[in-house]
Amino acid sequence: MQLIERYAYHNRLRKVQPDHKAAIALLGLLLCLALDKPVVSLTCIAWMFVLVVFIAGVPARTFGHVLLVEGGFILMTIPGILIGIGPSAPSDPAAWAWPLGPVWISTSSAALWRGVALVMRALGCAAAMNFLALTTPSVDIIELLRRWRMPPVLIDIMTVTYRSIFVLLESANTMYIAQDSRLGYMTSRMRAIHNVALLASQLFIEAYRRGKELQIALESRGFTGELHVLPTSYRFSPLFTVLGVVMTAQLILLWAMV
Amino acid sequence: MEDLFEFQNVCYRYPGHKQLALQDVNVRLPEGEKIAVVGRNGAGKSTLFLHCNGLYRPLCGQVLFRGRPLAYDRASLKRLRQQVGMIFQNPDNQLFSASVAQDISFGPLNLGLSEAETRRRVLEAAEMCDIIHVLDRPTHSLSGGEKTRVALAGVLAMQPEVLVADEPLASLDPWMRLTFFEILQRFYDRGKTIIMATHNLSVVRYWASYVIVLQAGRVVFSGTPKELLTNRVVLEQTELSRVWWKVDPGFDEETRAPATSPGAEDGRLKETRNFHFGEDGDWSI
Ligand SMILES: Nc1ncnc2c1ncn2[C@@H]1O[C@H](COP(=O)(O)OP(=O)(O)OP(=O)(O)O)[C@@H](O)[C@H]1O
Ligand SMILES: [Mg+2]
Repeated sequence: MQLIERYAYHNRLRKVQPDHKAAIALLGLLLCLALDKPVVSLTCIAWMFVLVVFIAGVPARTFGHVLLVEGGFILMTIPGILIGIGPSAPSDPAAWAWPLGPVWISTSSAALWRGVALVMRALGCAAAMNFLALTTPSVDIIELLRRWRMPPVLIDIMTVTYRSIFVLLESANTMYIAQDSRLGYMTSRMRAIHNVALLASQLFIEAYRRGKELQIALESRGFTGELHVLPTSYRFSPLFTVLGVVMTAQLILLWAMV
Repeated sequence: MEDLFEFQNVCYRYPGHKQLALQDVNVRLPEGEKIAVVGRNGAGKSTLFLHCNGLYRPLCGQVLFRGRPLAYDRASLKRLRQQVGMIFQNPDNQLFSASVAQDISFGPLNLGLSEAETRRRVLEAAEMCDIIHVLDRPTHSLSGGEKTRVALAGVLAMQPEVLVADEPLASLDPWMRLTFFEILQRFYDRGKTIIMATHNLSVVRYWASYVIVLQAGRVVFSGTPKELLTNRVVLEQTELSRVWWKVDPGFDEETRAPATSPGAEDGRLKETRNFHFGEDGDWSI
């Protein structure tokens, strides 16, 4: 998360209007879902790779790393599709099957193909969302949702939650260092577990206290139930409109031809 | 000189605690002064401040603002809070947004200002506090002192009449402290009031024009720094005499009074002023 945050703030597309970036990401996502062919998904990943690595200037390693992690999660859901388990051998003659005790474990080339297609499709969608995540800080995304008329309550909750994550991470880190510097984690394993428990319970109290103090501070600046903030201004980027059109056209063409 | 705030028999207790955090506080805070509030840890400085813009409501007694008792309905509170700007002891509790610019814009927008005017004020305040270069960095990547300055900018952007700052110096570097006092001076020069809690006795000695001393929830002294220095009873009772010589080498512990004559003292005051603010790591108690 820290890694993604870092590039979100320091990439060449940082100042491009978030609307455009979000539109590209959503377009990629929708096209991958609608045009369900591996070739479309692969092309979508390629598009996102070019956008993230060459245009935004995020290292290819980072793009790959994030996608790989997501790929790991996706793969975990695949066995259910690839492998069938039944009381008898499958009727399909093209299937491969092995007896394992009382049950039959089977798979087929069709199932394999379905699995591959599914993985590709999920990866295509993930890549599209990664493009947004790696080029747009959460602040901008929240801001975007505000302009897209998401209910203000949700926006305010997101704003404060997001900020609180970092405040609490910092407290947790400080507490951990304080414990560690007094040798809290150098003695027995049991002690260490005990210390983590202490830290967690303290963090609860801390979160509660900070919440109250934040409320007080907000009220002192005239808070009346809604967090009004200035919208950020961005430059309009015709490049992204063109990119969006070209990408859509190419993906649809590919889908129709292959 | 008119009173900005007047506390009349104010007491306050935190819910669930036996001990009163403020008891029978009677004090006047004059307008257009640089007021320092001192007292040991837990004396009640922060609690006193939170009464100043109606965030806490006294358990007994009342708080007067410009001669009128505070009203605690929404509209009155809104008016009050526009005029009384607060900087809290821990800036992390004050900043709610991950975007620095958005955080500063919060106050002005709550005042109902237009976007254009808000944008102007955000820039102005940011420039004053020297944080233009962090405006589009995320809040969590700032240092403690930078956060303090963002908090200050968020308050200055509301253009309050009074600045109430709870120990704002703690995380500022010596250079930034100088800048900070320059900002305060500009604020003060426009006839506005500053109330600052501090553990820094050189601030009390050389900056403040009025001092409030708190001890265990009571106000034991209010008056000019000079009056404080010659008030043996208070100096002794609060043990200020034990620590005062650190900021005031001319302070004679035996007689519990400044050794130098007022004339000579003023001469030294001028030449040591910046020096003390610059290097007060040593001086703060
Ligand atoms: N949120 C709270 N809940 C309960 N008691 C509190 C709370 N905040 C402060 N107190 C108590 O009220 C008293 C006054 O605290 P206050 O924070 O006003 O002191 P302070 O003068 O600001 O101290 P410091 O110099 O350490 O900031 C203390 O005894 C403290 O323990
Ligand atoms: Mg305090």
